[in-house]
Amino acid sequence: MAENKQVPFLEVKDLVVHYTSEGKEIHAVNHVSLTVKKGKTLGLVGETGAGKTTIAKSILRILPEPPAHVDHGEILLDGKDLLKLPNTEMQKIRGKRISMIFQDPMTALNPVMRVGEQIAEGIALHEKVSKKEAEEKAKEMLEMVGIPGSRCRDYPHQFSGGMKQRVVIAMALACSPDLLLADESTTALDVTIQAQVLDIIKELQQRLNTAMIMITHDLGIIAEVCDEVAVIYAGEVIESGSLEEIFDHPTHPYTIGLFGSLPDINSDVERLSPIAGMPPDPSNLPQGCAFSPRCPHATEACRKAKVALQNLGGTHYCRCIKAGKED
Amino acid sequence: MEQPLIEVKHLKKFFDTPKGTLHAVDDVTFSIGRGKTMGVVGESGCGKSTLGRTLIHLYESTEGQILFEGEDITHVSKKKLHELREKMQIIFQDPFASLNPRMTVEETIREPLELSGKFKKGALMDETERIMDLVGIDERLRHSYPHELDGGRRQRVGIGRALALNPSFVVCDEPVSALDVSIQAQVLNLLQDLQEKSGVAYMFVTHDLSVVKHISDHICVMYLGQLVETTTSKELFAHPMHPYTKALLSAIPSIDIHNRKKRIILEGEIVSPVEPKPGCRFAARCPYATQKCHEPQQLREISPEHFVSCCRVEDINS
Repeated sequence: MAENKQVPFLEVKDLVVHYTSEGKEIHAVNHVSLTVKKGKTLGLVGETGAGKTTIAKSILRILPEPPAHVDHGEILLDGKDLLKLPNTEMQKIRGKRISMIFQDPMTALNPVMRVGEQIAEGIALHEKVSKKEAEEKAKEMLEMVGIPGSRCRDYPHQFSGGMKQRVVIAMALACSPDLLLADESTTALDVTIQAQVLDIIKELQQRLNTAMIMITHDLGIIAEVCDEVAVIYAGEVIESGSLEEIFDHPTHPYTIGLFGSLPDINSDVERLSPIAGMPPDPSNLPQGCAFSPRCPHATEACRKAKVALQNLGGTHYCRCIKAGKED
Repeated sequence: MEQPLIEVKHLKKFFDTPKGTLHAVDDVTFSIGRGKTMGVVGESGCGKSTLGRTLIHLYESTEGQILFEGEDITHVSKKKLHELREKMQIIFQDPFASLNPRMTVEETIREPLELSGKFKKGALMDETERIMDLVGIDERLRHSYPHELDGGRRQRVGIGRALALNPSFVVCDEPVSALDVSIQAQVLNLLQDLQEKSGVAYMFVTHDLSVVKHISDHICVMYLGQLVETTTSKELFAHPMHPYTKALLSAIPSIDIHNRKKRIILEGEIVSPVEPKPGCRFAARCPYATQKCHEPQQLREISPEHFVSCCRVEDINS
């Protein structure tokens, strides 16, 4: 069924998540809907606090509850709602069908456990194998990410940053998951090491036909890795579509602003055109379009009422009342 | 030729560690003109921050010479250093760690003005206000503490503090790395505006190549304490010559989805800068390395204003 093009492999429907902090309600994710197809990569791009990580953690159901609370929505994996599964069922999915690569490898790894054991732990839990076989598999995984299998008895502190991140990748891919959530997984790395790691992720993804959600603030990485893109602002998808639709025809003023803020390596501009102002306070979101206070084109109508996603042809959607009406 | 604002000759900064001597900056030579921006790029641990800090005497250099406005400032007295601090300043990466959490915005910016002894009480207030306005901090935030500000505004305070006394040279140590892209662009534009107004020269230390290309006139590329290539920003991006520079430039993820460049993927990891072997430190990862690369390398002028430290540069680029 998953191979069927009509049924997306993962579907997030109308997800709403809020946090409670110091008596205030923080609206982190507001009616987000996303789909990921088998073997494809969806990029979630947005700034700090946009709600990208909260979306990923909701899928894996690892949000700290409280303070977080999922108010509404469905997360369908092959048509089955993950949010309704009992915990024991969910444990079978985490690490096996869905796994996550975190941003900081130092906090994602257990400092007092040998890396081989850490990788084998997940394998032993999910596959019907002996401890010995699990350790063999762990060694294989290390080799696959370019680390000699002989180093499986080393501790995390004996590896460099790039190698630690590769250990985390080996761990995430150990049970050949169907879906990989990569949360700023190369942000902490140097560019040449980042290029190595992105190459490994891409190659393994193709070999194992894994679907992926790539969370990043770096449009360059999105361009290199993703097939589809969703731009997140203040907990909402404000624009989504294929890589070409978003990069060739960015339509939402925020997306356009993001591109304008970026010094491009391939062109010369004297001055960048940044977006004015700051992202809104998620405990006190604007009434209408969340971007309207910073938007150069905002009108009274933008400030009054929420804007629905509008189709601009193909798979291109944009949450702006002016979308498709000008130029 | 006009005298450069700052000249660095064969500068070395070594640190003693339990494992041996760490060569953080090893024989670096370059100069920066008045009102110009020198970008210094390289990966973590390449010594770029140490270089910046050594220049403005936050570290004492181990060997070599630093000339500022033609004057040798390699070794200076405390009194002289105090004077130099007015002319040489630094903006740090993390404005949260570098601002005093118990001082308000106004106090932070006023402090250097007070210490200089150049302003009377009334003038002090006016000058503080002028600087806050200059760096775009709202009047109403004057009594706010750093924790009450977002990253972009905190960095504006850091910039205001550094530029308060109108220095002629400022080391910017990853000043926008901790900021979101839209805020990053605001701060970069601010730095450029201030340079146009006051003629300050920047040494801009960063690992972000698109940022460095955007803001710099000249660029130094460092690898493990060594300067591997230096030239104008335009020339470096048009004709990178050192194999490390080539790999570094090709590794940047580009937002151009139609013209994919071929990436040079480097094998291996950065080696340790503790007790390094003589010769090119990049040789271990370099696809072109030969026996000759393990001998000491010279920075040579390959084309006008384009200096490269690689014995094989002619073979590779012909």
